[in-house]
Amino acid sequence: MTTIRRFCCDDLLRFASVNLDHLTETFNMSFYMTYLARWPDYFHVAEGPGKRIMGYIMGKVEGQGESWHGHVTAVTVAPEYRRQQVAKKLMNLLEENSDKIDKAYFVDLFVRASNTPAIKMYEKLGYVIYRRVLRYYSGEEDALDMRKALSRDVEKKSVIPLKRPITPEELEYD
Amino acid sequence: MASKFGLAGGIPERRVRPIWDAIDSRQFKNALKLVSSLLGKYPNSPYIISLKALVLERMGKSDEALSVCLSAKEQLHSNDSALMDDLTLSTLQIVFQRLGHSDLATSCYEHAAAKFPNNLDLMMGLFNCYVRESSFVKQQQTAIKMYKIASEERFLLWAVCSIQLQVLFGNGGEKLLLLAEGLLKKHVATHGLHEPEALMVYISLLEQQDKFGHALEILSGNLGSLLMVEVDKLRIQGRLLARTGDYKAAADVYEKILESCPDDWECLQHYLDCLLEDDPTWGSEPIENRIDAIKCADCRLSPLTDEVFDSRITRASTFVHKLQENLGNDIVRCPYLANLEIERRKHLYGKGDEQKLMEDLIQYFFRFGHLACFTSDVEVFVQVLSSDKKVELFKKLMECSSTISQVPAKALGLSITIFKFQQFLGNMYGLTVGGLEDLAVKMVEMFCMNLPLSKDLDPQESMHGEELLTMACNVLIQLFWRTQYFGFILDAIMVLEFGLTIRRHVWQYKILLMHLYSHLGAISLAYDWYKSLEVKNILLETVSHNILPQMLGSPLWMDLNTLLRDYLKFMDDHFKESADLTFLAYRHRNYSKAIEFVQFKERLQNSNQYLLARIESAILQLKQNAGNVDEVECILENLKYGMHFVELSNEIGSKSLTFNEDLESRPWWTPTPEENYLLGPVGEISHFPKDNLMKKREANTRTLIEKKALLPRMISLSIQSASVSFKDGVEVNGSVSNPNVSSEMKLLLEHYAKILGYHLSDALGVLGEVCRGLISTEVFGVDMIDWVNLAVFSSAWKLNSHEFDLQEREARKFGSWHDVDTLLKRCILERLKFLSNPISLHSTDFQTLVRLITEPLSWRVLLIQCYVRTSVPSGKKKKKSASADPSVLTLSSVVHDSIRSLCGTFEEAMRWLRNQNRKLEYEEENLEGTFLSMRSEVQKGRPGRVFQILETLCSSGSKELGDRISGALESWDPDNLVRKIVSGQRAVFSETLSICESKCRTLNALKQKISQI
Repeated sequence: MTTIRRFCCDDLLRFASVNLDHLTETFNMSFYMTYLARWPDYFHVAEGPGKRIMGYIMGKVEGQGESWHGHVTAVTVAPEYRRQQVAKKLMNLLEENSDKIDKAYFVDLFVRASNTPAIKMYEKLGYVIYRRVLRYYSGEEDALDMRKALSRDVEKKSVIPLKRPITPEELEYD
Repeated sequence: MASKFGLAGGIPERRVRPIWDAIDSRQFKNALKLVSSLLGKYPNSPYIISLKALVLERMGKSDEALSVCLSAKEQLHSNDSALMDDLTLSTLQIVFQRLGHSDLATSCYEHAAAKFPNNLDLMMGLFNCYVRESSFVKQQQTAIKMYKIASEERFLLWAVCSIQLQVLFGNGGEKLLLLAEGLLKKHVATHGLHEPEALMVYISLLEQQDKFGHALEILSGNLGSLLMVEVDKLRIQGRLLARTGDYKAAADVYEKILESCPDDWECLQHYLDCLLEDDPTWGSEPIENRIDAIKCADCRLSPLTDEVFDSRITRASTFVHKLQENLGNDIVRCPYLANLEIERRKHLYGKGDEQKLMEDLIQYFFRFGHLACFTSDVEVFVQVLSSDKKVELFKKLMECSSTISQVPAKALGLSITIFKFQQFLGNMYGLTVGGLEDLAVKMVEMFCMNLPLSKDLDPQESMHGEELLTMACNVLIQLFWRTQYFGFILDAIMVLEFGLTIRRHVWQYKILLMHLYSHLGAISLAYDWYKSLEVKNILLETVSHNILPQMLGSPLWMDLNTLLRDYLKFMDDHFKESADLTFLAYRHRNYSKAIEFVQFKERLQNSNQYLLARIESAILQLKQNAGNVDEVECILENLKYGMHFVELSNEIGSKSLTFNEDLESRPWWTPTPEENYLLGPVGEISHFPKDNLMKKREANTRTLIEKKALLPRMISLSIQSASVSFKDGVEVNGSVSNPNVSSEMKLLLEHYAKILGYHLSDALGVLGEVCRGLISTEVFGVDMIDWVNLAVFSSAWKLNSHEFDLQEREARKFGSWHDVDTLLKRCILERLKFLSNPISLHSTDFQTLVRLITEPLSWRVLLIQCYVRTSVPSGKKKKKSASADPSVLTLSSVVHDSIRSLCGTFEEAMRWLRNQNRKLEYEEENLEGTFLSMRSEVQKGRPGRVFQILETLCSSGSKELGDRISGALESWDPDNLVRKIVSGQRAVFSETLSICESKCRTLNALKQKISQI
């Protein structure tokens, strides 16, 4: 029961039940609106009956040459709608847009190294741990940079794991 | 930033870079040094001057920054050879905007654009200025100019969006849309379109004019290929076909969409809408709303004949069946819920079959009953059933639930659904006290029993059965409401706190606790839980209603100040940055988002909560500083003496207000901030009261804003009244002439009285009767504070008006010095009498006392300070002449009496507050007493049974629970919790007490001063 559509500003006023979850960050307005203004096709919401917000995904497409890729900035699902593959559907849509419309080479995302449930879920969706980013979260916790190759990366070069961890300063993109 | 040839604003980039670096690293002193030295070399460079202004502004030197900015502007205007590039102008723009003078930046851009009419950078900068000003017409004109220069698609689309905005905001009609359409048509003919967003705007423009057929042609033509996702295109096609009335073709399209997206519920509804041709205003409103509006009455929405209707329903059923067959997994709910929707549509057509609907509901339960969303999925279908059928359904679901699953997590899910369904049906209201109690016990037992299921979960993850405690709390509060046994509230608190001890991240528990602690008057505990939710950014607009109203009536001013400040800062920051984000959307050619951003800003600007918070924040500042007239005058000056608020009050009736609060998370007993069923008698509450409640809310809020917005101005005028009355000499009748103050004050008082439902003279009559004890203060009802405010300000007005005496006679006399003090005393005493027992004390009752003390009483003390300030001049000479005036002497003795009376009133309040605090020290008179009795002996129908379950679990030390949960249980300390609640209650009394003490100190100091006369 998932109607997936573009996220719009009014949804910001309706996503409290999703964002009150302590693992879901509520960003400042310019963050959301910059994503909406620049990558509206990478920001989607899943709605259930009665127009209830089930979850949403926000992301972008960026990079140069073979680093041209889709990026998942946040994906979250309300407790009421968990274990129904809502996140998977949202991720698939972002991957499809990256693959078909923007012809990106891969999709990547960052996840807290301690967030085992999320890591497991991303692995199920075909993501591999590409590299570890040391002290990425507020200078404390490491992030795992996970990637999934898209059809344009025929040889799957983008997902060959790096041998050593990197520091946030070495990241190509924020 | 750098432009061609390594020049920035005409200056070699290598010279400017160190300044940028210093600014970026916030070394403003260094930046200023660098910029000043570069100015020595390029004294007339507008760019360097602008940079200097930027640095000064960042250093907080606003006046200097503005004057430097103005000189840069002057350079640009007067010096023909000055370089006018976008870098210079945008730097100036930033500073002007931060200084609140965006209009000056616009005029710089206008000047530059006129001088270099073919410079697109400058034109874009100008367009951005107009976006900031929301000058849609000028946006349009500028975009058209750019389009003429460059013939670029994006500029044309900027113009079209600007036209759409004019129409959306009510400043233009069909002709403008026709113009936009003509422009687009011409462009398409010669250049085509290249962006999917451009096509979307084109289609929306045609839709705005009801040209659906034309839009369809465009979509199916070459331009349609711009939309790369086939389903997106089909969705638009379906919508347009439906709007042209070609329902058959639209239904075909929706079938196609559903085949590829079988879980798309919205699409399924559109599909049925089309098949049944049931809505002339198709697509403008979701069917739920329409059906809610007619309350599921037996009416026919569809214009079809019976035969056609039947055949369409058959087609829908067959199609849905096919969808079900094609599904590869059992996660997709839509095709199964579709069965229910089809039955509901039949019911709406008068061909409903309750039995069939019940069977379908049971089937859906078999398949999805274990999901947390089951109840919300089926809500709308259950509403169709008669009361008897609902009961029957519930019984059947109960029977089924035990047969479905043996998997523990699934079985738990099913049991939760049964409880939730029971709450949804409103069965709770029919249960006896014993029945309710058994239910709460069962829920908590089930939670405890299933804890082992969660032992291996990450502490971040939701645990199995968390909802059980939320539901148990709801039942316990229902029990409190019915029995008035206060211990049930304590039981509810224990359940939630217990849940948070095991996993501290459950926001649903925290919100319930915030409301329960607020109800008990332990507002600091409520606020602690609020803080732990880390509500920030847009959630401040949607979630803070859970705490803000309670805080407004509390004496915890520091916390309230933080709350209001953070919220207003968030909103104001957004208003400042919104235009730049809108321009970003224009630049990235996401035109529909540009329009959306403008509408969103408007929605937030009209937020009722925002408007109220602005007024409340002003009132809070005045309250906090009411002990110092000079401070208050300063604040009033910053508030433009309350003039803006009066304007707001005058226009609020016609202003469109928005209500963005997310009320879903509120507990059942307080569905809106204004309602609290626990304060009233047990009675029937509507299960779906949303519509009525919202209408009531809107009306109440308008009145509240209208009323409160007058306060700062009335305070300001009263201070003026009180300050001139002695200074300028007292006339025979004891008043002085300041006709402007007097007549404005009269208007405001009349307005204020009118909001209370009275003519001013009648209102004064009522006040007079209360004052003389002829009627009780109960006549004021919930508006007590407003009435007493009216009394205080009327009295201030009296000092400055001849007219008052005339009215006074008519109004059976109210308004003498003595009257106001008597009224204040009477109100406080009656309130104190009313508030007797701290345990059952409702926080709202206590809030009225706090507000009496911190509002009308404080305003009164403030005005007395003004009288004394003007009648006791500081210089020796003046003092002599003042004391020589007999009328001043008379008045000073009146003021002296007044001070004595007010001191007495405060002392009464203080005595009561001290007494309450003392009572809280004795266990038998506080929560701890109640808690002890809950622990010692538990009787049926009395609080404590649920608490005992928690105790038993903790003492059992079960190994099945895993280390984490066992560890959490060991830390569970209910005694400490009770002590915390008591100290939370005491904190509120103590804080109020200290406010009273400070008022007394002020009054005593005034007494000293006045004795000098």
